[in-house]
Amino acid sequence: MTHFFALIVPLIFLLSFSFAHFRKVRVYDSYAAGIKSAPPLILSLFPYIAAVTMLSMLLTVSGLGAKLAEWLSPIFSFLGIPQEIAPLVLIKPLSGSGSIAVLSDILERYGVDSYISRCACVVYGSSETVFYIGAVYFAGIKRKKFNAALVISLVSFLASVIFACFLCRIM
Amino acid sequence: MFYALSSAKPVIFRALTAYIIRMNILFTAVFLICTALLLFNAPEAFLPALIDGAGKSATLCLSLLATYALWMGLMRVWEDSGVARGISRLLKPVARKLFRTDDDEALGAVCMNLSVNLLGISGATTPYGVKAAKLLDKTPEAEYASAMFFVLNATSLQLFPASIVAMLTSMHSANPTSIILPTLFTTLFSTLLGCTLTFLFIRPKSKSKQPVSAPKILKTKGVSMR
Repeated sequence: MTHFFALIVPLIFLLSFSFAHFRKVRVYDSYAAGIKSAPPLILSLFPYIAAVTMLSMLLTVSGLGAKLAEWLSPIFSFLGIPQEIAPLVLIKPLSGSGSIAVLSDILERYGVDSYISRCACVVYGSSETVFYIGAVYFAGIKRKKFNAALVISLVSFLASVIFACFLCRIM
Repeated sequence: MFYALSSAKPVIFRALTAYIIRMNILFTAVFLICTALLLFNAPEAFLPALIDGAGKSATLCLSLLATYALWMGLMRVWEDSGVARGISRLLKPVARKLFRTDDDEALGAVCMNLSVNLLGISGATTPYGVKAAKLLDKTPEAEYASAMFFVLNATSLQLFPASIVAMLTSMHSANPTSIILPTLFTTLFSTLLGCTLTFLFIRPKSKSKQPVSAPKILKTKGVSMR
């Protein structure tokens, strides 16, 4: 199974590039043109990632993070969510760059191959930044059912977190 | 996509500002509480923590840059060779049923947004998402279609979570691809749940029993006839 997934990425590239060449696309130029748009995107994310990473370091050093996790742990343990990933669950719907920062912190602290880290990765992948989508995509669009959609998204997010933690335990 | 962005700039700008203000309050509050706590506990740890955090974020952004470069390059090759159009053409029949519309332009934007979403490169989806939301708002079933689009984007099905796999690889995980299947199942679960809930609570056709819905039906007809 592992071997199968290791094959996917090289196969994707092999097929894409040979197909593009067959369609008379200048692969080198086209690939470079795509890469060109990556640095501006990262540059626009960097300030926010930096600020949130500094904040999360402060949370750790001041002990507030541990205290928050302690207060929330009854709820999380009731839902079957390890309390180590509580900060990720809290920040995920609010900020995309913030959750990347928190995720990398968790990976570093608990080791990339631990159960906690696997859980965190799946939780990170399990949804998009709900409030960001609500604010930016639907800017200026006034619909009565908008709040209902927001609630449905958040409920699905929470359900997916619970499901993710359960799945990581058995897979 | 530039058309959609430029025509709606002031509104988006205002919404972004509102979002940023909310984040500002949260950030400032947590920052101040932490700093106040540190003043009593260990004031000498304040500066090292900040420097450590900034350094970590620089490393993180470098590894993210590597990931985004690799996948955004591939996405451009897909766009240029017509693969992207092919994928969205495959998704179109499903989208047509889900969003209850035949508007080709709206469906195209929706499909591009959803297929970029499948790769899990957050940030790259925004331009298509903004355009799709604008166009869906003009379709007959706007109330339902917008909600469905919101939920689908929020739960975002992940075929291949590219940025996480790359992040695990760069941190020397023994088996970075092991999270693909759990992520796929989890997002499949949440997407299905979200769709079902949307379908149940925000019905595609307004209930004719309620008096409020009467003008809505009229309006829908008017739009579809145009």
